[in-house]
Amino acid sequence: MNTLMSAEGITKSFGATKVLSGIALSVAPGEPVGLFGPNGSGKTTLVNILSGLLLPDAGTVRFDGKEITRLPLDARYRLGIARTFQIPHPYPALSVREAVRVALVPRLTTLAVNAWKRKDGGGTREDEEGPTEDLLARTGLFDQRFVPCAQLSQGCLRRLEFARALACRPKLLILDEVLSALSAADEGDLMELLRAANRDEGTAFLLVSHNPPLLKSLCRRILVLEEGRIVRERTV
Amino acid sequence: MRDAAPSRAPKVSLRGGTPPARSPWRGGGWLAAGIGLLLLFPLSSPDAFFLDVFTTGFLLAAFAASWDVVGGVSGQITLGHALPFGAAAYSCALLTSFAGWPLPLAVAAAVLLAAVVGAGIGALSAPLAGPFVALLTLALGEIAHEVAVGHTFFSGPGGYAWGGEGGIPVALPWRDASPFSSYYAALVFLCLATFGMLLFARSNSGLILRAVAGSPITAQASGVPIARFKRLAFTVGSAFAGAAGAGFVLHVGRATATDLSLELSFQAATFAAVGGRGTIVGPAVAAIVLHVLFQGLSLPPSARVLLYALTLLVTLRFFPRGVAT
Amino acid sequence: MASPLPQVLLDGLFAGGTYALMAAGMALILGVVKVINLSHGAFFTLGAYVAYALAGRGVGTPLAAAPLAAVIGFAFGVFLGKSFVNPVRSHPFALPVGTLACALLFEQAAQMVWGPHPLSVAAGAPWIGPGGLVIRRWGVIAFLSSAALLGGLKWVLSSRPGLPLRLIAEDEEIAGSLGMDVEAIRYLTFGGACAMAAAAGALLSPSGAVTPTMGRAPLLLSLVVVIVAGMDSVAAIFLLSIGLGIFGNACAWFLSPQWSYVALLATVCLLLSARPAGIVALAGRRD
Repeated sequence: MNTLMSAEGITKSFGATKVLSGIALSVAPGEPVGLFGPNGSGKTTLVNILSGLLLPDAGTVRFDGKEITRLPLDARYRLGIARTFQIPHPYPALSVREAVRVALVPRLTTLAVNAWKRKDGGGTREDEEGPTEDLLARTGLFDQRFVPCAQLSQGCLRRLEFARALACRPKLLILDEVLSALSAADEGDLMELLRAANRDEGTAFLLVSHNPPLLKSLCRRILVLEEGRIVRERTV
Repeated sequence: MRDAAPSRAPKVSLRGGTPPARSPWRGGGWLAAGIGLLLLFPLSSPDAFFLDVFTTGFLLAAFAASWDVVGGVSGQITLGHALPFGAAAYSCALLTSFAGWPLPLAVAAAVLLAAVVGAGIGALSAPLAGPFVALLTLALGEIAHEVAVGHTFFSGPGGYAWGGEGGIPVALPWRDASPFSSYYAALVFLCLATFGMLLFARSNSGLILRAVAGSPITAQASGVPIARFKRLAFTVGSAFAGAAGAGFVLHVGRATATDLSLELSFQAATFAAVGGRGTIVGPAVAAIVLHVLFQGLSLPPSARVLLYALTLLVTLRFFPRGVAT
Repeated sequence: MASPLPQVLLDGLFAGGTYALMAAGMALILGVVKVINLSHGAFFTLGAYVAYALAGRGVGTPLAAAPLAAVIGFAFGVFLGKSFVNPVRSHPFALPVGTLACALLFEQAAQMVWGPHPLSVAAGAPWIGPGGLVIRRWGVIAFLSSAALLGGLKWVLSSRPGLPLRLIAEDEEIAGSLGMDVEAIRYLTFGGACAMAAAAGALLSPSGAVTPTMGRAPLLLSLVVVIVAGMDSVAAIFLLSIGLGIFGNACAWFLSPQWSYVALLATVCLLLSARPAGIVALAGRRD
């Protein structure tokens, strides 16, 4: 089978506490995968290792056939692995539009260089604003685009996390409890957004949650994590 | 084409929605008026002393703005910003007086050296967080200052000992520059440097640096290589500080250890805090106003530093987030 | 002349043991108030000038100057802690820059009052030990007082009166929920720590020149101590301070006094580069 990301023998301890022992998992391109586990089962640690925020004590992580175990968060994002945070840490002084642009800068630069090579008088407004506006519209943040991030509601902050994560057109999204504790409208919008990204752009995702119905409605395969081990794997 | 996603926002709404809370160039009119007044000021045939005070003020203003590139825009609180300033001042003096380089070449080399020094400081402080950046830059600046104070570099022509407390003279191609030309040269330099720094702060790199200052973890999760951008901030800020240092040494005629002192770094932080961190123009304006005020009153140096410290403490106490927010 | 080494070691031991008092104050501020106090060196200088002023009025012994310096340091420290540090302690820019401003403010004020020139405090006749070793009277007094005070601090911290401090250092929310006045404990601790620095300055005033900037080197020494030894063990702080005192004294003796300051600065740079996490308690903090 074709795999996008795979992890083998991931082990991590904090002091004397062993949090993960020998985790193995794989995600195929475009595959929606769920990760379920009770509090304290090691979900967040696993997510942090997969996204490059933490180094495992042992084990390897591979992506697109390359080993990326020691690659930091930002380099993985540029490869196409984007993650969201359970508790967003917004840039307080930046507007929503600027916050999205931060993640878009490499793409905008490429567009500007291409436009310059076409010799049609540099970047057009389309090149400059298109991707940003597109992302803002898709995540329903267009009307709030000039609002400083510090003033956003919890729901908008989650939407912003999505916009930021989608900016690199990721091959794999790692979503840490991104749909918990939201209003029904926010939750519905974001679920639809996730389905659309999966359907239209072939984005695989690993959705971490402790809400089984949500996982069943979004994912094709659910991994169950308990006390640092994957104890079950269920296909929906 | 993924960019042409189906749910593209309607183009009409560009003119709708909430307009930006603050235009990036707001206050431009006042600024233009201020520059106009400064351009007219020498025509009122003032005392040469005041022209000199203003000239120094302009150079300090460029220095304060360059602090703001590092400490305000990028949020890397540096207390060793005198290091690139003094490094450029010293290399300008050494290269012209000792190595006999022509002045323009020496100035270019000095600015380049300041940028390299900045890149070094940035590389050392990139892994550090919060107050430790302040600590490290303070220590680096103090080392340079101690070396400059204690080290007599060599004996120059005529048997004078160079270095140490007395500093090193610059070989200037002109004799006794007119206070008018110095004034206008410094003002033009200030305007150009501030404009350059504003362009940098408003560029995509500046945007990323503001993001790094706001939330490093989110910036990193957006694909920003944090360490590289911190180095960039220090490099650019230090290059401008070096340019200000070179200008300063050309005006004063001598590089001394005070160009590397903690007090100078501290002054830059004070100007930035009072003028509004992250605005570039604010610190420059604060520098001119405070410098002219305190220097114009002919206060002794220690009373001046005391007033700066008091001004800063009051500002920090009542606007701990900064006056600009 | 005999080898200078025993003399360097002995003087370094006396000085280092007294610096430990100041470093312990720095650690206390870091642990309880959770800030880096860059004005700590100014309180050391303050203590030295108090001793100088007293000596000028005929009260030569540091044993009289230290308590007075401590009281003055405590008063200023409480003021600084209550009216500046507590309100701004969550702002990453205001704290280091503000405490540095306090230090520079004091340096300049001292320069205006006492002038920039080095002053000296009479030390009293030293005792001559075996082999021509000079046992300085102030050194013995300073070392013993500092050791006694640190022993007292260790006892206080490990007993009932020190419980609030330990609790706040551990978890402020729990301490607050137990009905403790966290704010008051913070500024009182800040004042107490500043008193320790001032006492150290008074005790060490005869050891060298009293100048407005004399506090910078002890400040850096304290920073090195808290970065390496942490905030938990008074004994570790004491031993490390002695080590650094001897190191600094050796630099001053064999190179030049200025080099001991440069060596301390270089140590700070090296430590921060080698341990980017810095002080764990601060690095792990979420604000």
